[in-house]
Amino acid sequence: MEIQSCVTILNEWDIVAARQLGRNVAKELGFGTVDQARITTAISELARNIYLYAGQGQLCIDRLNEQGKTGLRIIAIDEGPGIPDIRKVMEDGFSTSGGLGAGLPGVRRLMDDFNIDSNPGEGTDIRATKWLR
Amino acid sequence: MRIPILKLKDCLLVSIQWELDDQTALQFQEDLLKKIHETNARGVVIDITSIDFIDSFIAKVLGDVINMSRLMGAKVVITGIQPAVAITLVELGIRLDDVMTALDLEKGLEKLQQELGD
Amino acid sequence: MHNEVIAHIKSRKSELIEKWIDRVKEDADERMVNVVSEQVFQGTSYEFFDLILLSLSEKDHEYKNKLQMFSEKVVRLGWPITFVVSGLRKFIHLVHDDLIEQGVVSKEREGEYLESLDEWLAPLSNEIIHTYASTWEKTVSLQKIALQELSAPLIPVVEHISIMPLVGTIDTERARLIMENLLDGVVSHRAEVVLIDITGVPVVDTMVAHHVIQAAEAVHLVGARCMLVGIRPEIAQTIVNLGIDLNKFITTSTLRKGMEKALEMTNRKIVELEGVN
Repeated sequence: MEIQSCVTILNEWDIVAARQLGRNVAKELGFGTVDQARITTAISELARNIYLYAGQGQLCIDRLNEQGKTGLRIIAIDEGPGIPDIRKVMEDGFSTSGGLGAGLPGVRRLMDDFNIDSNPGEGTDIRATKWLR
Repeated sequence: MRIPILKLKDCLLVSIQWELDDQTALQFQEDLLKKIHETNARGVVIDITSIDFIDSFIAKVLGDVINMSRLMGAKVVITGIQPAVAITLVELGIRLDDVMTALDLEKGLEKLQQELGD
Repeated sequence: MHNEVIAHIKSRKSELIEKWIDRVKEDADERMVNVVSEQVFQGTSYEFFDLILLSLSEKDHEYKNKLQMFSEKVVRLGWPITFVVSGLRKFIHLVHDDLIEQGVVSKEREGEYLESLDEWLAPLSNEIIHTYASTWEKTVSLQKIALQELSAPLIPVVEHISIMPLVGTIDTERARLIMENLLDGVVSHRAEVVLIDITGVPVVDTMVAHHVIQAAEAVHLVGARCMLVGIRPEIAQTIVNLGIDLNKFITTSTLRKGMEKALEMTNRKIVELEGVN
């Protein structure tokens, strides 16, 4: 069972919209305050990546219900330049934008499951899931 | 929307009351530095009790503004970081080791007073 | 066929029971027989026997109640499940052997009888296994809750100082809980200094150290200071050998020293009163 809500990321304001959507869904699913903060932060990081590197894309929130487990999945998809070296962006402290370089590895630590798929020139597809304990 | 910056003796007080978007955060950085310059403030307390998450961008803006203030001779104390926010920041891998922190505005002011030596 | 067998069992009850108890005892763990008095052992065996008879004579309601009570009793006595189930199997074989010995059943039909006896008693053994399993499940979930409760209490000892004693192994799940309790406690007790006491943590590896360091960083963010106390010599050795950097921490070997330091940090000290009787 999956119910999906999406936000199209075109400008900075959409980042705010995406994290508000995520926080509402997290609250609705019964996540505690710490997990809400983790999810909101992860969404903010992923949405900002779309805005900064691809210019535009989609950020979707799935409500998951698998084998009696409830979860929330963040899906960030863009058709931007893609990531040439995934291993490198998953290293702590690597940044091309002058940020803190905490982005993707940070998101992986905040969430339970993390999956990234990217081809140069074709875009990037990132999925990160948090399960309700 | 701009974040109001209040002056109290030789300190500046800032209380961030709503979710920061990127523009507001950058605007705040600019406003605070300008205000430090105008008032010759020696200390700043930024209270973020109402903030329920901080991502790496906002963390960077905050970290930058602290370093910039220090360059201008003002010490900054961040107060009221919520437990959920602290946990997220640590897990995200953001270090704010040399930032001064306090539980709330009152303790923040006390700490600043101690640091400034009066 | 049922009635025939039931009648036979009933008529030979005392002989069967004695034989059965002998056979079962051969199998019983010595420790178990010693723990349970002879009387209880005999009593329970009789009860079990009656129960089997009852299960054969189809008084459904009464049987179900008794079965449940019996299963719970055996579980409480702490008899291993293998023992109880094998007791049941022994009963089947015993009755079967006896039926043949006494000439109730002819050689040709013995397989048939064994099969139907087996069928009769299958629900009984299922129920017993089920009771065991659900008792275990209940115990496990209760223990889990109990473990969570004693997982990470934050104790406000004196104003501005709180202590979190950690006992037992720390895994990722517990580390999360510890972190959340710690930070919520610091904010609600308005603590300035928190002492994390690891005297009761058996092993401090890189993972545990990593969690403790994260907790200390988070404590710093909410505006308090964190101290690590209860570092035993072997823990100090492992920490250094593993190359874990705890230099940013204030650490002490005992809770007492830590407490003195914490008081010092909050501008207080313990004074002995003189001249007071």
